[in-house]
Amino acid sequence: MRYEVVCGIETHIELATNTKIFCNCTTAFGGDPNTHCCPVCTGQPGSLPILNKKVVEYAVRAGLAVHCKINNISHMDRKNYVYPDLPKAYQISQYDEPICEHGYIMLDSGKRIGITRIHIEEDAGKLIHENGYTYIDYNRGGVPLIEIVSEPDISSPEEAKEYAEKLQLIMRYAGISDCKMQEGSMRCDVNVSLREAGTKEFGTRTETKNVNSLNFIQKAMYAEIERQTDILEEGGIIVQETMRYDDVEDSISPMREKENSDDYRYFPDPDVIRFEIAQEKVEEIQKSLPELPFDKLKRYIDELELPEATARQMFRYRRVAEFFEEALAEGASVKNASNLITGTIYANMSIEEDKELFKVLITAKQFAGLVKLLDDKKINFKMAQSTLQQMLESGKAVEEYIKAEDMEGISEDDLTKLCQGAIDANPKAVEDIKAGKDRAINSMFGFIMKQSKGKADVKKAEAIIRELISKMS
Amino acid sequence: MAVTKIEIEKLAKLSRLRFSDEELEKFTSEFDEIIAFADTINQSVEGGTDNIRSVGSELISFEELREDEVIPSLPNEKIVSNVEDKDGFFSVRRLVK
Amino acid sequence: MREIISSLSAKLHSGEISSVELTKEYIKAIEASNESINAYVHTTFDAALEGAEIADKLLKTGNASALCGIPMTLKDNICTDGLLTTCCSKILDGFKPYYDAAVWEKLKAEGAVLLGKTNMDEFAMGSTCESSCYGAPLNPRNTAHVTGGSSGGGAAAVTANMAAYALGSDTGGSIRQPASYCGIVGLKPTYGAVSRYGLIAYGSSLDQIGPMTYSVKDAAIVFDAIKGYDRRDQTSKAFDYGNILEALNQDVKGKKIGVAEDFFEGIDPDMKAQIFEAIKLFEKNGAEIVNIKMPALKLALPVYYIIACAEASSNLGRYDGIRYGHRTASYESIDDMIFKTRSEGFGAEVKRRIMLGTYVLSSGYYDAYYKKAIVIREEINREFNDIFTKCDALIAPTAPNTASPLNFRGASSIEMYLSDICTVPINIAGVPAISVPCGKDAKGLPIGMQIIGKKFDEATILNMAYFYEQNSEDKVGIYEGGVRI
Ligand SMILES: [Mg+2]
Ligand SMILES: [Zn+2]
Repeated sequence: MRYEVVCGIETHIELATNTKIFCNCTTAFGGDPNTHCCPVCTGQPGSLPILNKKVVEYAVRAGLAVHCKINNISHMDRKNYVYPDLPKAYQISQYDEPICEHGYIMLDSGKRIGITRIHIEEDAGKLIHENGYTYIDYNRGGVPLIEIVSEPDISSPEEAKEYAEKLQLIMRYAGISDCKMQEGSMRCDVNVSLREAGTKEFGTRTETKNVNSLNFIQKAMYAEIERQTDILEEGGIIVQETMRYDDVEDSISPMREKENSDDYRYFPDPDVIRFEIAQEKVEEIQKSLPELPFDKLKRYIDELELPEATARQMFRYRRVAEFFEEALAEGASVKNASNLITGTIYANMSIEEDKELFKVLITAKQFAGLVKLLDDKKINFKMAQSTLQQMLESGKAVEEYIKAEDMEGISEDDLTKLCQGAIDANPKAVEDIKAGKDRAINSMFGFIMKQSKGKADVKKAEAIIRELISKMS
Repeated sequence: MAVTKIEIEKLAKLSRLRFSDEELEKFTSEFDEIIAFADTINQSVEGGTDNIRSVGSELISFEELREDEVIPSLPNEKIVSNVEDKDGFFSVRRLVK
Repeated sequence: MREIISSLSAKLHSGEISSVELTKEYIKAIEASNESINAYVHTTFDAALEGAEIADKLLKTGNASALCGIPMTLKDNICTDGLLTTCCSKILDGFKPYYDAAVWEKLKAEGAVLLGKTNMDEFAMGSTCESSCYGAPLNPRNTAHVTGGSSGGGAAAVTANMAAYALGSDTGGSIRQPASYCGIVGLKPTYGAVSRYGLIAYGSSLDQIGPMTYSVKDAAIVFDAIKGYDRRDQTSKAFDYGNILEALNQDVKGKKIGVAEDFFEGIDPDMKAQIFEAIKLFEKNGAEIVNIKMPALKLALPVYYIIACAEASSNLGRYDGIRYGHRTASYESIDDMIFKTRSEGFGAEVKRRIMLGTYVLSSGYYDAYYKKAIVIREEINREFNDIFTKCDALIAPTAPNTASPLNFRGASSIEMYLSDICTVPINIAGVPAISVPCGKDAKGLPIGMQIIGKKFDEATILNMAYFYEQNSEDKVGIYEGGVRI
């Protein structure tokens, strides 16, 4: 039998606010256990939540970035369940009045993956099981999250990965989170079910929780599809349960359920008053959103006429794109600027995260200064590269390295002198050339380029060398 | 609506409470009485509640919400002052020895 | 009726007595009577004397407030930094918060002297104080009777002159009803008038802190000190009350007083007679009596129990033995620890309400109970709003009866709930109400009259209560124990 995959993804993203969602404690990562805490985020009796304005703003930003309708009025609910990482025995979340609804993300194929809703909620603390004890640290407790719930529109592991990757990029662009999956600031719960191809009714789904990399989303889904297919082929029944993906073993297995029924008894939190965000404010947030990544990619290809591969290398990182566009605004050419970024600058950045952070010592304006010399053919590409490398190391402007006279090129006389010097220094090469081994001339170019600081014109130099050698003997 | 013992057991589990059989028996009969009392509201509301949001009518505007400014957290000694301290953690013994 | 706070304050300000001396008097009174009355469950005499010394310094500066140096008490559900706060529940055994409730922060800043924490029904769930894990306090007016609840310890302490005033909390009548049973004044402010920060929650949308005092003027002084917006409580409100004490001296001429038969259904005839006599006194002094109807009132009680218990079931989930309070001695897993801790730590009434709350919120029952209760709550709100377009205040009994004998068990498990019938509608609507002593019943037990106002109009009800207090005979009388003022 042939099966069709039905998948929806719930994504939790930690918002990059300064303070927690309901108290003024810092959201800074790390810290000694229970040092970013107060009565509110440790659920002390008598404490009360005070909703963070920035959380609402960021949730709206997130919603607008994925074409959601923003609910101007929204409220917080209590989701009641008991677990030691949840100090109040309820999570303050949103149930029937989420802040955003009805958005989508467009895949490269043009297929839209619907976004059902985005809601605001609080993160739980951290449990450490060690030496026969469970230790609890509430530093992460109360860190603001948004939960982005997709429609079950995803039909393959590849689509799932693409959806999550796009979501990650968009949210980074929206500036609401760094969305680092390894560090847990973005985590995906992948819901998968199978149905006979062509049928309408959904099969029973399972939920693989807290998948923490884009590749694992794909792998976990493959594993789960295989598992469910095997069960169905053997005439078995899929049980609705929570799964755990083991990335070391690349295997999937049911999670030992904590003794929890899923009757969460949601009801409006009486401590947090229903809140209203005016349409004008929503529009203001809309205006403050930067050009979103996939609009940018399209523009890079269509309007800037960048090769797709280059465009893709550039648009992924918001700071890179900003740097690039600022250099363009300073008059740098698209081609040279992009080539120097993806060539020289990226060569200094081996990991994704470096490109994400894009910490460079020079300003876009300084960078543009260099690119313009190249654009005007005052220097050649090789020289631009080596100069850029020096600039990146020192943070100094191009003027530090290339003087006016350097740009004038090298006179015929000087070049002839250099060529003579190369011949004198390489008697063996001269012999070889005479014997017809033309490639031996290359060893002389290195000498000339070094002496001329890269300014020498290789073609001219070759002609001069040949002439000088022919005059010898 | 009469409440069965099984339902009471389910509620107890959700409430993280345990009752002896005796207590449970007593509870079930008491509960019926209380539910009957609560049920009086059912006779008085006509129609469904589908269009009703179970939230109050009060609203707070976005502008009135709390600003995102850090206030130093409390020292760890205070946070864990009501438990036996285990290196600044809250803790529960997990395994029986 | 003596005004304890104003008279003590005058003595403190004139230097006739120091706060330390006064505090020692109160400590003596508590040591003499508390063993029998059981008003206090934790005393804080060392802290009180320290506070008194600070107060004496403040008094010397010449610009101390009316509450400076005055010994008082807090209900055991109001958090006090470093001092036991247990909600009279085994589950909060040994709990010392590391923060002050907003109200105590305010009073402390004014130089208030805290004598201790007073007895209450466990987690404020009850109307007799008998569900306290420390046993019930006795009604100083007649020690064979209950104080009422849940703020019964505070009522007893004030009545027996073991504190100049008390702060209680009122979710469905817990300030007003014990005040009426003990023959003192109890004010439940408008929801949002006083910060709930540091008040251990029972029913969050209903809970409100308020004063329990010997006189109306005292209530006004204390309310004035504790009210106001607090950034830590999003449901608290900034409201400009103007000068509340000045408002006390307004006359009642032209005031429209609403009387709804619905409040008097099934109450003791003696009590009804006494309250109607009080109504006549207002009428004689120029007030206009308006007869009104409140049909939704009969639904207030089930609505109250559904909402309060739903919120309580969620609010009390956090008592799991992990972060504070009781933890069971032996267990097999974390889950087992939580079940055992909670089953040992909570008393029967608390368990009952948690279960009821869980029930009305659980899937399949939410729409039938919780959601409908919210609908009726809105209806009750509308009724009150409507009434306050026609009336300045409402008069009703505080409770349908006077204090019952100790250990009195009604015929059904909801009998006790019925004694809240006159007070819960006020919490549901979030409006303010005050209970003032209004004579005695045949057994000599105090009767309370309830004056209900519109939101943030405490001034009107305080004024009316003050008028009644000043113009009626002192029908309750003064307790002859405790501190002699
Ligand atoms: Mg969630
Ligand atoms: Zn905090």
